[in-house]
Amino acid sequence: MTSFLEPRTVAEAVACLAHHPDARCLSGGATLVAMMNAGLADPPAIVSLQRIESLAGIAVGENGAATIGCMTRHRTTAAEARLVGSQEVVRLAAQRIATPPIRNMGTIGGSISFADPAADYPAALVAADAEIEVVGAAGTRRIAAQDFFVDWYTTALAAGEFVIGVRLPPAPRAAAVYDKLVKTEGDMGIATVAVVVAMDGGRCTDLRVAVGACGPRPVRLRDAEAALIGGPLDTQAVAELGRRLAEALDPVDDVRASSDYRRLVVPRMVGRAVAAARAKAEAAS
Amino acid sequence: MTMDQTMATVSLRINDVEHAVPADGRTTLLEVLRETLGLTGAKRGCNQGVCGACTVLLDGRPVRGCLMLAAACAGHDITTIEGLAEGNDLTPVQEAFVEHGAVQCGFCTSGMVLTATALLKETPHPNVAAARAAMSGNLCRCSGYRKIIDAVVAAGGAR
Repeated sequence: MTSFLEPRTVAEAVACLAHHPDARCLSGGATLVAMMNAGLADPPAIVSLQRIESLAGIAVGENGAATIGCMTRHRTTAAEARLVGSQEVVRLAAQRIATPPIRNMGTIGGSISFADPAADYPAALVAADAEIEVVGAAGTRRIAAQDFFVDWYTTALAAGEFVIGVRLPPAPRAAAVYDKLVKTEGDMGIATVAVVVAMDGGRCTDLRVAVGACGPRPVRLRDAEAALIGGPLDTQAVAELGRRLAEALDPVDDVRASSDYRRLVVPRMVGRAVAAARAKAEAAS
Repeated sequence: MTMDQTMATVSLRINDVEHAVPADGRTTLLEVLRETLGLTGAKRGCNQGVCGACTVLLDGRPVRGCLMLAAACAGHDITTIEGLAEGNDLTPVQEAFVEHGAVQCGFCTSGMVLTATALLKETPHPNVAAARAAMSGNLCRCSGYRKIIDAVVAAGGAR
């Protein structure tokens, strides 16, 4: 028997999780119910977040920072025109998630809490310098996206905590590109690349490159990015960044591709995505 | 609020009719449709949200019946394939599927028709690319896609 609880406030949801330590939060169901149907999850209680009105929707503050509530469907994020500059990388990633019915159901909170490394949001959120807002009995806290994704299907959420939203800092002059290599549209990625670039007078002023689906968590090399700041972001320099990223990956052989293949394609994907983002940034400035 | 709520009666609005059905917290909408209410148009295919055979409309948009918990559907409008035709009067999408022979074994058909119905409501005259994108979450293992896309585009009157 499984309890089904529908708290109306965040505080009630926290109380539910405290009362049922093995409960699972339900947002859209696209992940949790699939796991239950596959026999991989059998929670004694389900805490549905859908009746907590404050958790759905996207808000943009005066300083340009955007907050995506955990219950926001992929469909909504994929169409949100107010996600601009670096934030656009999250919208672009949402557009590539699975197929339309899944985007009608699935939410950003549910997706990232499952932390499938081959999903679309992890690399995009790391490239966007996002912070994950979580709540628990001790109150709320923010976790940098890079630190939120800990390992295969493992996040930094502590017992009794859940994700309430994702905060995207503003970088309106930057341009974003999200590339996903798939066998067929709608599938999980063989590899994903999320890129943010800003240019000023032919010089790179902001560069962020995150690679997903190639190991337990998104990979981003901040020191290698920093080495390219101030330069023209030429093909050779970007190729070196791609080479170092490929070295830093820990890809597996799976049904979609081999580990070797992933290491082979990632530098090419990085080269193309950074070039496209640079062109987009220069066209906008 | 109650901290333990297991077998409960859930009130579901399906095809404009209210149904009070018993459901455990983990009962899916698909199970209620097929096993409690006998609405067997929605099929159980992969039970993982991949194939689309269980597609129903939730507040007018296609979702996976197998991934919706019944208890979470209270307060929403659910449309199944049984709710489209009025007696023998088929909808334009259903007519188009018949006219184009867009049915082989038929297992995917109810999901295909519902997804197409939602598409035409949002985009009344989809072209082939729009139809293919919208229908991409519904698999046909007979691989009869061409006639299905033809039917969807024809139902919208575009070419």
